[in-house]
Amino acid sequence: MKRPYRNKKKNMRQTAFVRFMLIVAVFVIWIGGISVRLVHLQVTQHAWLKGKALDLRQDVKQTRMLRGTIFDRNDRMLATSVRVKTLYADPLEISDTDATAKAVADALKLDALQIAFQIRQGKEANKKFVAIAKKLDDDVAAKANKALDTPGLKKADLPTFTGLHWRDEQRRSYPYQSLAAQVVGFSNAEDEGKAGIEQSQDVVLHGAIIKKLQERDRLGRVYDETTFERDLPSDIVLTLDTGIQYITEQALERGVRAANARSGIAIVMAPKTGEIIALANYPSFDPNTIGEATGDSIGNKAIQSVYSPGSVFKIVTYGSALEKHLFSPEDKIDAGNGTIDVANHLFSDHHTGVMSYAEALAHSSNICAIKTGMRVGRDDFYTMVQKMGFGNKTGIELPAETQGIVRPLNKWNADSLASMSIGYEIGVTALQMTSAFATIANNGVRIGPHVIKEIRRSDEQPKTVKQIQQTQVVTAETARDLKTMLRQVVLSGTGRRAQLNGYTVAGKTGTAWKFDSKTKSIDSSKYISSFIGMSPAENPEIIVAVVIDEPKVGTRDGGMVAAPVFREIAQQILQEMKVAPDAPVRQETVVAKDIPESPSIKKTNNKPSENRPENVKKQVGEAPIGNQKPKDVRKPATKKGVLTGKATAALTKRLDPLDGKRTEETKFET
Amino acid sequence: MTRKSHVRPDRVKVKQQDGNTRRWQVYALMILCGLLFVSGFFLAGRQHFSSMDFGMKNSRLRRQVDELEAEKRRLLLTREFSLSPTEIKKAAKKAGFADQAAVNAWVNQIAAVVKGSAVPQPAVQAKPMIIKTAAVATVKQSRPEVIAKTTRFSGQVKKTEAAE
Repeated sequence: MKRPYRNKKKNMRQTAFVRFMLIVAVFVIWIGGISVRLVHLQVTQHAWLKGKALDLRQDVKQTRMLRGTIFDRNDRMLATSVRVKTLYADPLEISDTDATAKAVADALKLDALQIAFQIRQGKEANKKFVAIAKKLDDDVAAKANKALDTPGLKKADLPTFTGLHWRDEQRRSYPYQSLAAQVVGFSNAEDEGKAGIEQSQDVVLHGAIIKKLQERDRLGRVYDETTFERDLPSDIVLTLDTGIQYITEQALERGVRAANARSGIAIVMAPKTGEIIALANYPSFDPNTIGEATGDSIGNKAIQSVYSPGSVFKIVTYGSALEKHLFSPEDKIDAGNGTIDVANHLFSDHHTGVMSYAEALAHSSNICAIKTGMRVGRDDFYTMVQKMGFGNKTGIELPAETQGIVRPLNKWNADSLASMSIGYEIGVTALQMTSAFATIANNGVRIGPHVIKEIRRSDEQPKTVKQIQQTQVVTAETARDLKTMLRQVVLSGTGRRAQLNGYTVAGKTGTAWKFDSKTKSIDSSKYISSFIGMSPAENPEIIVAVVIDEPKVGTRDGGMVAAPVFREIAQQILQEMKVAPDAPVRQETVVAKDIPESPSIKKTNNKPSENRPENVKKQVGEAPIGNQKPKDVRKPATKKGVLTGKATAALTKRLDPLDGKRTEETKFET
Repeated sequence: MTRKSHVRPDRVKVKQQDGNTRRWQVYALMILCGLLFVSGFFLAGRQHFSSMDFGMKNSRLRRQVDELEAEKRRLLLTREFSLSPTEIKKAAKKAGFADQAAVNAWVNQIAAVVKGSAVPQPAVQAKPMIIKTAAVATVKQSRPEVIAKTTRFSGQVKKTEAAE
């Protein structure tokens, strides 16, 4: 009786088992199918899916770090970068071009038609970036955001307007405008330095590109951000002092304008450290409006232009002779009748007779300098020229520095030594010449001029740039004797206009004819007048070099044109630098004293004696030294048109009705 | 032969009671596990959303820091601009100070006119043309000595020529 029940029970169990197994099979097939699909997706379509997921979630944003700042020695910003924004349109996102253009035009006060045209062009070219308004300040951008706000539009980034976006950019600003423009230089829109420190230190200043990995939610809001930074840009501190730079530039500008000159250079250097405190060029330019600058004003002539120094180079002549102990400053030298023939080249001068070496330098006698140079000899003179740094770059941290023109000994002519003794047949830069004077001022020790004080990085201690090399060029005794001689130049010689109130000055004037590259000869109507001086004379704190190119008013020599500029600069900056006076301070301020000579003096045809064409065989400057020998420069000096010191004194006394006491300042020739 | 199992009723009761207790224990454990599971999910979800929220706040703050730094730079730049000589000059002009260059130009103009005239004027008459900006003391200059020196040079020339 119980068997059917058992069978029934057995059947039920079997059925349940079969059902269970069916369900398991369904599950296995289902899970198996899913697994196969998962394996398929994750193995074969892994990269594509990952990319798609990342695209939806992540956003890579690339921005450039702000370029480093350039400071002066007192932490005044000379160049810095600020964040600005560029509004751009993605034409592919924009459906109503005209409405968008109108909205943008209203917000930014632009031309709607022009914007619409730009967007349409972008659409046709399938572009995703069409710049609408470039480099806007943040406040302008904020106003635009307000104006372009579209209520109800779910857009994570500003402006909340379909198809419009902001791009972060930077703008370089030069708050002191044209001040030290040739030193600071400028950078272009791509953050590349193109001149000055901006160019030479581009690697240091350059703002690296930073990559930001942003995780965004479905509304586009950033909820996580990873920043990948490269080296931080550094800031550069220059040795320049904006105050002194301004004084220098102003004085130079006045000097150039008063002389109606083509251009001018002024350098202020600290001889003990080699620091360039000011470096001015006139005309200058404003790096903020670089498009308006002329090519002539952009270059840094102090290191890029070569000129014949003329009589200022006599410090090398006398320095090498003093180094060889050939004379002492009080010894006498005979200038003879004012002419000397060297290898059929007749050099002439208006200084005649016996005088001391100090007087010879003070009155810039060419004959005495030539005689001294001949006594020194070619080899020793050449060695001294090289030791003083001529023919080599000074190593200043500025781009495109020229090394000047110094011919090797084997290319010298028979009269080259004589010419070089008075500063011809050689090409120097204003900085090289200043550096040579700094060597004398620094007791014969040459310290390379430099313009960078330190380089700063936000994450580390500031570091000074390099160890400045010091070289003993001449003995301290030679340097002292030369300083004594240079002192005489300012006291009783050609540089009397460089005298300061309260400070002693040692310096030298120089006037050189310019070489005309077109005619390949000396242009007797064009000069380069210079004065380089140091003060206080005994223990100089500053060297000031002033070079005026092509002065056209007055007698145009260095003592007349450049020395007053030196005086104006040195007088102000010595007080600014709080240098203790080493001479009696007298109370005087007469504006009339600064009045430049009347153009009427020009009619007297009084040419600077040290630069008469007959004294100049070859010139260097705008062209390389050639072997051309202009016929006229070999002729002996003619008396016509050349005034002696006495004659000039009489003339200027007559012409100067303002103040009788002034006349003596105008009568000296170089 | 049939076997008869006789289970005492009290034992069955105890066994049933044990079964009930264990069942409740299992249920309680399951509920606990479920609760833990759910609360874990809840906490994880909460943390996820709060971390996202923090992330957003962090991102906003970073942007704010960037903006403030940019603003600081701009302000510093504006300060430097206003301290630049050109701006100071403008401000001085507004305040009524005379431009030095203009004064110089004026003086130069007067000087050119005065110097241009061939007739020398007495120093006394020319004096009003001079602008004295401070107390002026007469400067003792070494003109006579210099002239003497020049003369001496000329003398020397003659001597040298004579000697030659």
